[in-house]
Amino acid sequence: MSAPVKDVTIPEDAPSDLLLNKHADFIALYGAKKDDYEYCMTEYLRLSGMYWGLTTMDLLGQLERMDRQQVVEFVAACQHDCGGFGASVGHDPHLLYALSAVQILTLYDALDAVNVDKLVEFVSNLQQPDGSFYGDKWGEVDTRFSFCAVACLKLLGKLSAIDVEKATNFVLSCMNFDGGFGCRPGSESHSGQIYCCVGFLAVTGQLHHVNADLLGWWLCERQLPSGGLNGRPEKLPDVCYSWWVLASLKMIGRLHWIDKDKLRTFILACQDEETGGFADRPGDMVDPFHTLFGIAGLSLLGATEVKTVNPVLCMPEDTLRRINLHIELLSS
Amino acid sequence: MDVFDGTYGMYNSKQNTNTPLKKFVVPSIKVCFWRIRKQWKMHGRLKVKTTAEQQEAKRKEREEKLSKYQAATGRLFEKRKNAEHDGEALDLTGRILAHNSDFLTMWNYRKEIFQAFHKDKSSDEMQQLYQDELSFLETCLKSNPKSYSVWEHRCWVMDCMPQPNWQRELLLCGKFLEYDERNFHCWDYRRFVVRRANIPPQEELKFSTDKISSNFSNYSSWHYRSKLLPLVHPDMEQPQGVEETALLQEHELAQNAFFTDPNDQSAWFYHRWLLGRAERDQSIRCLHVCRPLNRLVATFSKHLKASAATLNVVKDGEVITGRWHTPRGTDTFEQVLIFEFPEHSLTPDRDQHIHVTLDTEAGLVGRECVLGAGHPEVFSRDITESQELFRSELSVAKSSVLQQELESCQQLHELEPDNKWAILSVVLLMRAIDPITYQEQTLQYVDKLTSLDSYRRNYYSDLSSRFLIENTVMQSEEGTNKLDLSGKGLTCVRHLDHMTLVVQLDLSNNRLTTLDIPVYMLQCLKLLLADNNNIESIAGLTNMPLLGRVSLRNNRIAKAQALAPLASCTNVSVLDLEGNPVCSTEGFKSDIVSVLQQIKVLDGSKI
Ligand SMILES: [Zn+2]
Repeated sequence: MSAPVKDVTIPEDAPSDLLLNKHADFIALYGAKKDDYEYCMTEYLRLSGMYWGLTTMDLLGQLERMDRQQVVEFVAACQHDCGGFGASVGHDPHLLYALSAVQILTLYDALDAVNVDKLVEFVSNLQQPDGSFYGDKWGEVDTRFSFCAVACLKLLGKLSAIDVEKATNFVLSCMNFDGGFGCRPGSESHSGQIYCCVGFLAVTGQLHHVNADLLGWWLCERQLPSGGLNGRPEKLPDVCYSWWVLASLKMIGRLHWIDKDKLRTFILACQDEETGGFADRPGDMVDPFHTLFGIAGLSLLGATEVKTVNPVLCMPEDTLRRINLHIELLSS
Repeated sequence: MDVFDGTYGMYNSKQNTNTPLKKFVVPSIKVCFWRIRKQWKMHGRLKVKTTAEQQEAKRKEREEKLSKYQAATGRLFEKRKNAEHDGEALDLTGRILAHNSDFLTMWNYRKEIFQAFHKDKSSDEMQQLYQDELSFLETCLKSNPKSYSVWEHRCWVMDCMPQPNWQRELLLCGKFLEYDERNFHCWDYRRFVVRRANIPPQEELKFSTDKISSNFSNYSSWHYRSKLLPLVHPDMEQPQGVEETALLQEHELAQNAFFTDPNDQSAWFYHRWLLGRAERDQSIRCLHVCRPLNRLVATFSKHLKASAATLNVVKDGEVITGRWHTPRGTDTFEQVLIFEFPEHSLTPDRDQHIHVTLDTEAGLVGRECVLGAGHPEVFSRDITESQELFRSELSVAKSSVLQQELESCQQLHELEPDNKWAILSVVLLMRAIDPITYQEQTLQYVDKLTSLDSYRRNYYSDLSSRFLIENTVMQSEEGTNKLDLSGKGLTCVRHLDHMTLVVQLDLSNNRLTTLDIPVYMLQCLKLLLADNNNIESIAGLTNMPLLGRVSLRNNRIAKAQALAPLASCTNVSVLDLEGNPVCSTEGFKSDIVSVLQQIKVLDGSKI
């Protein structure tokens, strides 16, 4: 008696080459259709959406196709008096969008367009006595927010604005029996949260807390026969989970524990040959979120047609070099 | 497949005043993780070909929906600006959230409305309003059971309610977990309810047993057990441990699971956890004092930061003020730290008694040694340690338990010879029981794993590399400072923290591709041989003041610049690079000399 393995089959006619220009066109068009139904309906995550799109364009070497001034003005308009950023103008501030804002402004070297001191204050005010972070004033706690906080401050060069030791203790209290991490103490391991927690430890120079061999084993067991990676045991593969897993493996020096060629084949098969863009799985609808993580994943796998991506911040390495930001990873 | 698929109306709550409207349809951006996990309808949505006519009809329909949606959101932002906290706002936000459940600002507005209601409504009225809110949330959850925002709002409501009914919530969790036993949002919500309602862990352990008995393949339940077991059956001797009888029962449960479905990974991950890993305490594992360099090197069992640690050096009863730093001079967490003695403090004609201590949470730890008169160096290290440490990493269980487990896994392996999980467990158990005697057998099993599970071949080769290094370190003669790891097919080098005293290291004839590992932890190293590998980069070969000769013949070093890290090893005078691509580049010698000015002999000839 054996449960069937949850997986997908890659169609024989699935794309196997990177359709670089089609993806750039897809993103450029997506951002240009401001009256489009989908565009309007996703306003509640606009800043993150812009970060996905702009980072994709930069990794493809075509950032200059986007309207820098318009973007920077929009980002600045999303900042509140408290220093935080909403997803769009008039939307409530949240740490998730603070990180997106900082990432976009760093790409464009335009941090002077916003009030950085206030932003640092916003982030540090969200830290709780147990070291955890609220996402906003309403009090949701999650290790994603711990990552957002330190990633944001690291990009601003202001990591000392928070209590890093307490923040670390909270993240470590979310570590599990399998070496992975969950949302809160007691929560099950999930590769998205693992990315956030391992990323947190990378940003703060504490990757030695990870049991790399144990966690690496769990992560490499995410690879399914199709080559794609899932986010948890017994789940379907997905391009975005492939990124969370792959980036985590890279950070702990265990990227080579999966079969890179098989994963590359899976990611490439998730492209849409007509419209450009990547879907979560072969044959599904594409979107900018999976497009970024498809491209970034290929970059980590060594694709030479795209820029090298940083596994911790999911930004182009050349951008981070420009601001002199270096994050040490574990060696293999 | 999600059980809610295509059956939106199936659980349609009748009490809900905000009857879900089909007016707004979710956008087709799929964000699986981060704030938003888009509705099931969209996740995994197949692309379907449509005719131009259909497209036009769809476009019109969407245009209409969009204008309604935008009118509603516009109206809400306006109302919020005017601080209007009324039924209309509640109704409108409900309509939007029912279809776009991750619109954060709308949830916040809703919370503000409730807060405002508190000012002029009675406790009974509030109770009713919150109850309606719970019904509304249940409807949202039925269409989108994986929305972070909805579950979070439910927690908020429960905490605000005058009379929260926690038992009812527990039932709701049970119901949702029946539909999807892996929904981690629901598991988290359950833990929230359990905490608020003070439900004892015994009851939750029973719940998890029931879940597992109905379906072994439930990773979430196994995970939950790993948290509950140490609470319900604590081991008095070690924190986070599990008492022996309970542990044996768990082993039986895990065995039942993997004998039922040997390919289900949940029970195997759990089994590996049961075998346990001992948490090591902080200690000073090794101390090396070097008179010519006027310094000491300390190796710790755990990483620490020189700038944040309380370290003391006492010489002949007197506290010495010197400087602690990391091998690379960085402000990073390391296992090896260096202490520079003040000039002339190591008197050459007398025995010097040196004692190093470190303040830890568990108290003071230390190590001492005596540098004899006229001796250039001395060391002190934990001699029992390396063998015990490698073993305890695999297991803290009693050997009788391990033996029993080994027999069951071997039995399963005979029944299912191609089952990789059984083989891997056999390997780990053999390592825990007797790594030296079982060496050949474990390596053969790892070879078999490599061919059975080729996607993870590099995991297995790194695993056998680790085993071979552990065995070599364990078997190396006491007092020797040569470590021969050549010709073992190594793909990685682990356990550098056990090699502090190594003076000669031979890594030749392996399958290494880099030396990016922190070789600088080997502060006593004088000779490094790494011929006949596939080494491309040597980022970890830095800051070793005694290193004199490095041999990297027949590797893949392509550019002189790749050797730049070695520049910080100022004593390196002999370098062998024959058989590397860099040797056939133009101006090879002068390039090397410009990168490494300290080199005197390159490939056997004087510079
Ligand atoms: Zn996805």
